[in-house]
Amino acid sequence: MAPIRDLATYAPAERPFSASGVSLLLMVWEAETAQRASAAHEALTGPPRRPSDGAPLPPPPPDAMSYRYTTDLAAVRAVVHRYAIAAGLPESRAIDLVLAVSEVAANTVRHAKSPGSLKIWYDSEEIVCQIQDDGIIADPLAGRRQPSLEAMGGHGLWIVNQVCDEVEMRSDETGTTIRLHMELPRLKPGS
Amino acid sequence: MDLLTVSVTARESAGEPYTLVEIVGEADVTNTDELRRLLDEEVSQQPRMLIIDLSGLRFMDSSALHALLRVNRSMDRQGGVLALVSPQAAVAKILRLTTADRLIPVFDSVAAAAAG
Repeated sequence: MAPIRDLATYAPAERPFSASGVSLLLMVWEAETAQRASAAHEALTGPPRRPSDGAPLPPPPPDAMSYRYTTDLAAVRAVVHRYAIAAGLPESRAIDLVLAVSEVAANTVRHAKSPGSLKIWYDSEEIVCQIQDDGIIADPLAGRRQPSLEAMGGHGLWIVNQVCDEVEMRSDETGTTIRLHMELPRLKPGS
Repeated sequence: MDLLTVSVTARESAGEPYTLVEIVGEADVTNTDELRRLLDEEVSQQPRMLIIDLSGLRFMDSSALHALLRVNRSMDRQGGVLALVSPQAAVAKILRLTTADRLIPVFDSVAAAAAG
C-alpha cells in the first residue's frame, strides 16, 4: 500500500553514519599519522594514564584528529564510527561509542553558544574521544544516576556512562571537556 | 543537512485498522522537534494501534527516544497501543539500555505487531 502522506523528506544517507566531505579528510589524516600515532602517544603520555578525580586532564596527543561541529551530528557520528573501526573496536562497541559521542555532542547543540570540538586518538590499548564546548555542567555527578523513563531528559549522560569503559568530565566557567575511553581488544600473542 | 524521512500509511489487519509510521534515517536532537510534531499529529487521530517501523532508522539518540516515550504515554492515555518494529543494532541498544523496550513492545515484523 502506498503512503497516504509523505510527511517529511530530507536527503537520505547512503550508508550508516555516512557524511560526505569527511571521508577524504580522514583518509589523508590516516595516511599521515596512522603509523606514528600509536608510538607517539605512548611516548608522550606514558603511565599513569589517568589523573585523579578533578585534576586537570593531560593534553591530547598533538596529532589527535580534530573536528569542529555545530549542528551536523550525523557527520560527527560518521567520523567517530570510522575511527572506532580503524582503531580495531568491534562493531557493537563502535556503535556504543558513536551513541556516547552523539549524546555528548547533542548537549553542545542544546546548551553551548559556540561550536564544539571533537578530538579522537588511539593507541594499542584504547580509543579516546574528547568533546569540548563552552557549556557548563554544574552537577559533578551528572549522568551517574539512572533517570526514570518518565523523566523528559537526563538520559544522555547516563547512557554515556553506561556504554563507555571510562568517562572523564571537567567543567568550569570556561566550558566542559568530556573524555570517553573505550578499551581495544587485546591482540592475540603471535598475531 | 539532516536526514530523516517519516511516512505514514493507514492499514488493516484482520479487519482492525492501524496506523503504520516508518522512520528512515537518523533521529537526533537536531530533528526531534520535527519528529515529535509528526508523531503527535498521528496520535491526535486517535488510532487504536500505532506501529512504528524502525527498520530503516540507523540511529536514534535520547531526545528521539523521549519522543517515542511521549507517544507511548499519549497512546496509553487514550486507550491505544504503541508497538515498535525491527530496530537496527544502534537503536535496539538504546531501547535496551534505558529499558524502554520493556515499556513499549518490540516486534520482529509489522505483521507480528499488527497481530498483537
